[in-house]
Amino acid sequence: MSAPEHLLELTDVAKHFGGLYALSGLSFRVDPGEIVSVIGPNGAGKSTMFNVVTGLYEPDDGGIRFRGANIVGLKPNQVTKLGVARTFQTVHLFPNMTILENAMVGQHCRTRSGVIGSVLGLPGTRREEKRIRERARESLGFFGSRLAGYREEQPASALSYANRRRLEMARALATDPALVMLDEPTAGMNPRETLELRDHIVRMRDELGLTVLVIEHDMRVVKGVSDRVVALDYGRKIAEGSYDEVANDPQVIEAYLGTKALG
Amino acid sequence: MGGVPTGSIVRAGLIGGAGAIFIALVGLYTKFADLALVGEQITLGRLLILAPALVAGYAVTRPRIVAGERRSVPFGPGVVVGVATGLVGGAVFAAAVAFADWFGVDRIREVFVAVTEELVDFLTFDKGVPAGLPLLIGLCVVGGAVGGFARTAPEAVRRPASAGVLAVILFGLLQRIIPIVFVELGFEADWLYERSAGLTWFGGLIVFVVAAAANALWNRDGGRTRERVRRNVEQAPAAKVGLFVAILAILTILPLLLGTVISEVLGSVMIYVLLGLGLNIVVGYAGLLDLGYVAFFAFGAYTTGVLTGAFLNTTTGAATPALSADLNFYVAVWIVALLAAGVGLLIGAPVLRLRGDYLAIVTLGLGEIVSVITASKWAQPLIGGPQGMRGVTKAEVFGLNFQDNPQHFYYLALAFVLLAAFVSWRLSTSRIGRAWNAMREDEQVADAMGISTTKFKLLAFALGGAIGSLGGALFAVSIGSLTPASFEIFVSITALAVVILGGLGSIPGVLVGALVLIGLPGLLREFEEYRLLIYGGALVAIMILRPQGLIPNVRRSRELEDEEVSQDAWAAAAGARSEPVAAVLPGGGLGVEQEDLE
Repeated sequence: MSAPEHLLELTDVAKHFGGLYALSGLSFRVDPGEIVSVIGPNGAGKSTMFNVVTGLYEPDDGGIRFRGANIVGLKPNQVTKLGVARTFQTVHLFPNMTILENAMVGQHCRTRSGVIGSVLGLPGTRREEKRIRERARESLGFFGSRLAGYREEQPASALSYANRRRLEMARALATDPALVMLDEPTAGMNPRETLELRDHIVRMRDELGLTVLVIEHDMRVVKGVSDRVVALDYGRKIAEGSYDEVANDPQVIEAYLGTKALG
Repeated sequence: MGGVPTGSIVRAGLIGGAGAIFIALVGLYTKFADLALVGEQITLGRLLILAPALVAGYAVTRPRIVAGERRSVPFGPGVVVGVATGLVGGAVFAAAVAFADWFGVDRIREVFVAVTEELVDFLTFDKGVPAGLPLLIGLCVVGGAVGGFARTAPEAVRRPASAGVLAVILFGLLQRIIPIVFVELGFEADWLYERSAGLTWFGGLIVFVVAAAANALWNRDGGRTRERVRRNVEQAPAAKVGLFVAILAILTILPLLLGTVISEVLGSVMIYVLLGLGLNIVVGYAGLLDLGYVAFFAFGAYTTGVLTGAFLNTTTGAATPALSADLNFYVAVWIVALLAAGVGLLIGAPVLRLRGDYLAIVTLGLGEIVSVITASKWAQPLIGGPQGMRGVTKAEVFGLNFQDNPQHFYYLALAFVLLAAFVSWRLSTSRIGRAWNAMREDEQVADAMGISTTKFKLLAFALGGAIGSLGGALFAVSIGSLTPASFEIFVSITALAVVILGGLGSIPGVLVGALVLIGLPGLLREFEEYRLLIYGGALVAIMILRPQGLIPNVRRSRELEDEEVSQDAWAAAAGARSEPVAAVLPGGGLGVEQEDLE
């Protein structure tokens, strides 16, 4: 058993597609209350790592533990129920559901109303439905008024790109997670929105007490939020440490800029 | 001509002519030659002569995109284009008639049985081939002109006019039902309808004027009235309840007004409403395309038979099934539903990993398996095989007989429909409905958000199966004897057509879909043999004109205009709380979407 202070721990994780190793021998950990950034060039295996952790892919080798328990082989919904929430690199909302409903879906795994309760409208079910609604509003409220008010009843497809990203994060928050995994949350955002999002990531930890694992390309964001940075290339970990350590690591510079490092 | 390329006109005309020839070959003209809609002259058959040209004229005058700009065809030229289209179509049609006459009707009839001397007489208005053809072409020209008119005339004219014409056609078609209702309500119907024929000229005029006026009112101030009514109904709970009560009242009183014959039709409508409601859970809510829904219908019917002491038909007389019980229907039906939910799990389990096309094919196969089993020797000791069963319970209670009295049966079916609709409605607005919705929109993401797709797929199959089996149980009660011929793939297809026509995920949609697809052909006995043709046509039309269904699920068809209004309302309520800062988005790639940066 691993030491309980690790929230998420990957040990020698490998995943290959045909002959292509998307991940090989990847090990790292995330401790409670940390914000860990994952960086690496395109195709380094960052999103594959997310998919392996959240159960969308099963690793070919290695172990993944969450709060000390093995989560390899669990289905995505089971992983989510254990307290891992995620967003996707390309936004995946439920476009025809309203904004509020999208967030309410997040509460699904924390609630249990069944067929009989729903059909008969039992008091317990109605109370639960009210709780779901309140919790969903709370998650939406994390992003200020952008997703609140009249917008609650709009279909998610009516949102702007940046707001879709925010809604996806709100939906993840609504699952009451311990660990939030954000896959390129600032992709497609303008500089101002990016700055704002940086604050949101920090607030997730400071105000909501969450642990955050974030894949990010924008180095200002990485620098601004990270307690630790993990750099991947060709499915392997090439560096780990504070932002400054990783940013000055020759291997990282090489991965990003090629062999002729600029120093 | 009016911005419409000549090639398009010719092509539309040719297609219209081909359509008319098709209608002639399948025998619709001879079938409806004498079905008078208004007076003696306007018959459904004649209407069908101008219908293909009308559709062609309507289609060819659609707005076109020219150099990136959408250009409508102006009114005058639009009618001219319609006339030209009708002329081409009429010429093709007339040429075909002349050819048939020259070639020999009898020789053609060897292949196309509907081609008869009668058909030629009808199409030439009893004037013979050369003399009658100009009339035929003339009628097609009128059709084309009307088509052009219906597309290009000013909105304030064409909408009421179309509504009026459609109402007259509908009233004409319902000539056997509406007079009965009038008489039952204590009114005279003589001024409206000819005796056992279509509308009188006066009646037709009245219907046209009333429908057109109603439509004009509805569209007043550019559709604002309509919007206001719609929004009120959507947003005010009281209006919603009122609408529901009104529909319920009509549904309750309907069989009393319409008498036993039509009540029988309404009974089968209600059976299909039950099937539609069940299938709606599987297809509409959970998004699982099930083409084998007849399985639940058959299971419900036969299980009801077995549990309520029906006999097997055998060559040597009646026999008791190998497994048999003699339960009261009102006990048996819940057992049937419960068992059907189990069957739903059995059918659902092997197809859990399949999606879309694959799921459809496999469920189609599973449905066929059930159909084959009902007709098999293997199942003969249980359910009678090819000879089937008889003596299914009449579900008598308080001296009411639900088998021999269609009006009583209707109420029994209505009770089950209300129950199923209530269950559907409650489910759709609950946590479960939300999970299905999410699963339908994106299965993988729903899974990643904590929804067990396995569990909710199985739940949809089980609940959908249970409701579908109730349809089967009622069907068994209504006809009393069961044979495999009633449980073929046609049931699956009809149920799916009902759900799609009404609007996926919409409970009132199922009712409307069943009324249109089961009720109308049932009422218009003449259409019975063209039922499949009508289904096909109706589905193609709905997919082109209104893909969301006749009464779409509100959530899914929410229109942009609504959003703008609510946005304004919200902004007004928020007042000067915060001024939105106008910001230019970098790259401008977001197009019409706007972002308020506070």
